[in-house]
Amino acid sequence: MVQTDALVTGVEQIAPFVRVTLAAPTVAAGLASGRFVLADLGGYLRTPLFPARIEAEGFDVLVPPGHPAAMLRPGYEVNIIGPLGRGFEVPTTARRLLLVADTAHLLVLLPLTRPRNQVFRKKPGFSSSVALLLSAPTAAELYPIRHLPPALEVHVVTADGSAGHQGSPLDLFPDLVRWADCVCIASDPTTYPALAETVREVRMLPPLAGGDRGGVQALVMPPLACGVGACQGCAVQVARGTKLACTDGPVFDLLELR
Amino acid sequence: MRRETVVDLAPNHKTGLTLANPVMPAAGCFGFGTEYARLVEVEALGAVVVGPVTAGPRRGAEPPRTLPLPPASGGTGERLPPASGGLGGVLLHTGLANPGVAAVVRRYGRAWGRFPVPVIVHVAGTSPNETASCCWRLASVEAVAGIELGLPDTADPDDVAAIIQAARAVASQPLIVRLPLARAEWLCEVAVEAGADALTVAAPPRGTVWHETRFFPESLVSVPTHFVTGRLYGPFVHPLALRALCRVAKLAPVPLIGCGGIYSVEDGLAFLRAGATAIQVGGALWHDPACLARIARSLPPAVEPW
Repeated sequence: MVQTDALVTGVEQIAPFVRVTLAAPTVAAGLASGRFVLADLGGYLRTPLFPARIEAEGFDVLVPPGHPAAMLRPGYEVNIIGPLGRGFEVPTTARRLLLVADTAHLLVLLPLTRPRNQVFRKKPGFSSSVALLLSAPTAAELYPIRHLPPALEVHVVTADGSAGHQGSPLDLFPDLVRWADCVCIASDPTTYPALAETVREVRMLPPLAGGDRGGVQALVMPPLACGVGACQGCAVQVARGTKLACTDGPVFDLLELR
Repeated sequence: MRRETVVDLAPNHKTGLTLANPVMPAAGCFGFGTEYARLVEVEALGAVVVGPVTAGPRRGAEPPRTLPLPPASGGTGERLPPASGGLGGVLLHTGLANPGVAAVVRRYGRAWGRFPVPVIVHVAGTSPNETASCCWRLASVEAVAGIELGLPDTADPDDVAAIIQAARAVASQPLIVRLPLARAEWLCEVAVEAGADALTVAAPPRGTVWHETRFFPESLVSVPTHFVTGRLYGPFVHPLALRALCRVAKLAPVPLIGCGGIYSVEDGLAFLRAGATAIQVGGALWHDPACLARIARSLPPAVEPW
């Protein structure tokens, strides 16, 4: 964990998002899906930024056009603190990874969709696959599917039916969770109780070896003040009390969340 | 490089509490000292203030505990660019979450012993008995150079005297008393008479906000609906705390520690000019951990009271 200035090396429109590329080798080395940095973007509290793509020399973030990071331009420097938090942990024994996201949170899971990030570190010939259940109110608000890796199996749900299945992600979730042996969720936490209920109903297998946060992991990100566990301000309710999103999370066992 | 400045926060105590410079983090903002180990140059500071601690473990408040306040217009710190959303502040309600003084000493006592500067432990003085219990446990911890006592916001002079006397009876270290902002002037003389070696002026003020369940896509945050009361942090606290310190300085014949809304060297200097011997930096630390050392190095060696 360091506090450093990251150089903005690129800004690109990927409607309906803006992709910002930051050069920060010392931070990027420790980043992973679900881990984050706190960026000084001018507000009283720092803004959490999750990497959508991680390279050796830096990382990309994807933000909506109104986000403070969308105002950055190449050549700017942004003071960041990171890497912070505990990210998603895909057990080495997992074969079928299901990613569940609404369009606002998809960026958090994007590193898990890319083969070069070696989600599955397997022996040669090991067969594995990744599916994504992606939801948005309308097709216009969807992350462009063409930017996702071709090998990724994508299930789209829109509330108005303008793309993919019309309805709620809960319509497709039961079948997909039966198929998966590891699930990573980044969505509006108000949907989590219903997702957890489905996981309990389909009696998903107990946690796979290699992780202590269960087979179904979910991102919860309350507002953060310090980001290092000093202020005790980012408590998340879990089965036996509270945990801190900044140091214990922001990725938790879905079935542990309350 | 260590500053030559030496301040004594407890000149009348048998051990004294000398600091190489007058800057330290505020209680409740620095954790138990290890959280910021990689981000703050502790050796550049005068001391660290860790905690709060209570006698027994406390689970703390139900979430949400952190509620960003509406942005203000203008008023930026020395390093902050003009804010895209303006600079507001934050309401923090932790409910004194901590594992209890015994567990805290067990987990962090060894690390405190390795700190290059004095360690001051903030004890939440919720009652005389609980305060005495905490101070008794800390009395034998060599790594603890001082105790800062927090008072309930509703404390009256009798409460304050009882809590401080209970602490004084068992504490071996110098006792700093952090006064509630709204009652600092009213309580300062009682605190000194009861045995305070120094006073911190002041604890962050409390406020209440109504927050609706809303999802903020830009921060990936959902916040539920209800009233939340907690401590307020932000630049707006500075003039309130400075006024309190100016008034206390006329009444209390002990070293004063200015605390509240310090976001720059100029903010800190204002407290020192108003009569503070030292300063505590709170919420600014969350935004910019490096600001502590920067403020400590930038303060002039001596500041004459105005």
